[in-house]
Amino acid sequence: MKFSFFHLMPWTELEDAPTQYPVSNRDFDPVRAKELYDTYHGQMAYAEECGFDWVACNEHHFSPYGLNANCNLVGSAMAYRTKTAKIAMLGNLIPLLNPVRVAEEYAMIDCMSGGRLIAGFVRGIPHEYIAYNHDPNQSRDRLREAIQIIVKAWTETEPFGWEGEHYQFSSISIWPKPWQKPHPQMLMSASNEESAAFAGQYPTIIGMTLIADLKIAARTIDTFRESSRAHGHEITPDSVLTGHHTCIAETDEEAREHMREALKYFHKVLMRPQQDAQAIVVQGTRFFQDERLGQGFTKRLETLKARTLEDQIEAGSILCGSPETVVKQIKRINGELGNGRVNMTMKVGTMPDAVVRRGMELFRDRVLPELRNH
Amino acid sequence: MDLPIETVRLSGGPLSYQVVGEGRPVVAFHASGGPRAGALAQAVAAGHRLYMPVTPGFDGTPFHSHTGGMRPLAATMAEFLRTVVGARCDAMGQSFGGWLALWLAVDHPDLLDQMVLLCPAGLREGGKGGLPQDPAEVRRRLYAHPDRAPAEWRSADEMAANRRASAAHTGDVAFDADLAAALPSVKARTLVVMGTRDEVIPVETGLLLKRHIPLSHLTYVYDAAHAIDIDQPQRTTRIVRAFLDKGPAFIVKDAAA
Repeated sequence: MKFSFFHLMPWTELEDAPTQYPVSNRDFDPVRAKELYDTYHGQMAYAEECGFDWVACNEHHFSPYGLNANCNLVGSAMAYRTKTAKIAMLGNLIPLLNPVRVAEEYAMIDCMSGGRLIAGFVRGIPHEYIAYNHDPNQSRDRLREAIQIIVKAWTETEPFGWEGEHYQFSSISIWPKPWQKPHPQMLMSASNEESAAFAGQYPTIIGMTLIADLKIAARTIDTFRESSRAHGHEITPDSVLTGHHTCIAETDEEAREHMREALKYFHKVLMRPQQDAQAIVVQGTRFFQDERLGQGFTKRLETLKARTLEDQIEAGSILCGSPETVVKQIKRINGELGNGRVNMTMKVGTMPDAVVRRGMELFRDRVLPELRNH
Repeated sequence: MDLPIETVRLSGGPLSYQVVGEGRPVVAFHASGGPRAGALAQAVAAGHRLYMPVTPGFDGTPFHSHTGGMRPLAATMAEFLRTVVGARCDAMGQSFGGWLALWLAVDHPDLLDQMVLLCPAGLREGGKGGLPQDPAEVRRRLYAHPDRAPAEWRSADEMAANRRASAAHTGDVAFDADLAAALPSVKARTLVVMGTRDEVIPVETGLLLKRHIPLSHLTYVYDAAHAIDIDQPQRTTRIVRAFLDKGPAFIVKDAAA
């Protein structure tokens, strides 16, 4: 199996739970932000030393949930702080961005890192559409069109223009082009059947987060497999990445205690305002083409929040415990889903940085050796 | 557009054409299906004097005495331009018509300033793409959005006759090597427009033209198959009009756009 160290880069200093999205930045402290960036970048670089195959992050806006308005900036830093780990951008919120700019920035990271980019093409979670003032109803169509532009920008050998539904460019010829040929490995989100069917159109890895039920997740992977096959691709275990909040400590009790504390801040402070905003977006638009998926998304968030830690471990959304326990949890999920890749978010909310580092070392010494050849 | 058909007597025989609009002249060469004055023609005619010759042999018109390939056909059209248009002009050619426009630009560079090639035929390397015999498959390859296709006014026999006329001119050649070799000599500023879902003309054709025509631009129309102006009339019209109206400045976005 292969492993990814993922960082949300949370702001850890809010005392009061925000009540609205976007979250007021009146208490933002740039000096503290510098400290956090230093710490978080250090953790990501250390992940390579701990045997993680990828260092990963993503993009969020207008919220202490993550200090990563442009994950490509982190990606470029990681290109120079790591030597072999893949730089996984999971990813850029494609429908909100200029696709030519995405093609350029991804190509820069790929060249700077010597071909180590994993290029995430994600639609984003619903509230991000408020931040950049885009119509959520158009999100899927914009994603579809933008992907074509980006792949063409990477692979075309001559300048070209584009007359599209959402994008018009008179002449595109990016410098640099990517290192990887024909283009960098793609990754798309597939946390429901609609997005899994969409992702199957492309030669991509899928990423699944917020797993609330392993049987539903297995069906989603089946949908991805069928869609991929229909479009001429055969998926392998390496095609599926599952994402989990993770705490590894010396004992199960210690890990659970840390995770419980961290989740309080995560859900009450970091998630609260955007969950409200997401509900507004999902209810008021066709962000999910299938209405049931919208209801399902909202329900899934509510379910995860309401569940006990033990329930979430059982459901497969969280990995938590001693190294030996976490090995068992990963093997169980792998047995149900057949995923060959695991994405670990170890800095959950206010999880102490020393606990994160220790967890990474326990992963290196006692988890990875048990699973590398699994 | 319901326009009168006019006829001019050329050295090889009579040639029918339609003309509409006022402004800088543009000559439009039709596809192998035959002339069709659709939305694109209307849009161009709104700002230009648009000449639409009927290729000899199409729609029941007689072949000329020196028929026998695309270069003689281009010579016929050059005579048409000198006789009827009487001034340097721009050209627009779709599929078969694009092939014809290219030879006109190669052999008669004194006649053209600009040229628009809409998914042009004649340069399908390795025979990739093309139109099959099965009418249902032809329709699938022509249209990404068949619901937008206009009703065909020609009978099955008339359509078959047009296909034979096309074959008589082209010899059913997939790749015109002489034309490919001559591309660097094209003087006309050229816009190549390709549909992102075109299965008739491969993407390599657009890249070949862009690479070898010295002053050229390549634009993809998203979600369009071979009948690019029917699948996406607004997108096609926007880019073609911008090019014809603004020349090299068409790559600069209008303040109002």
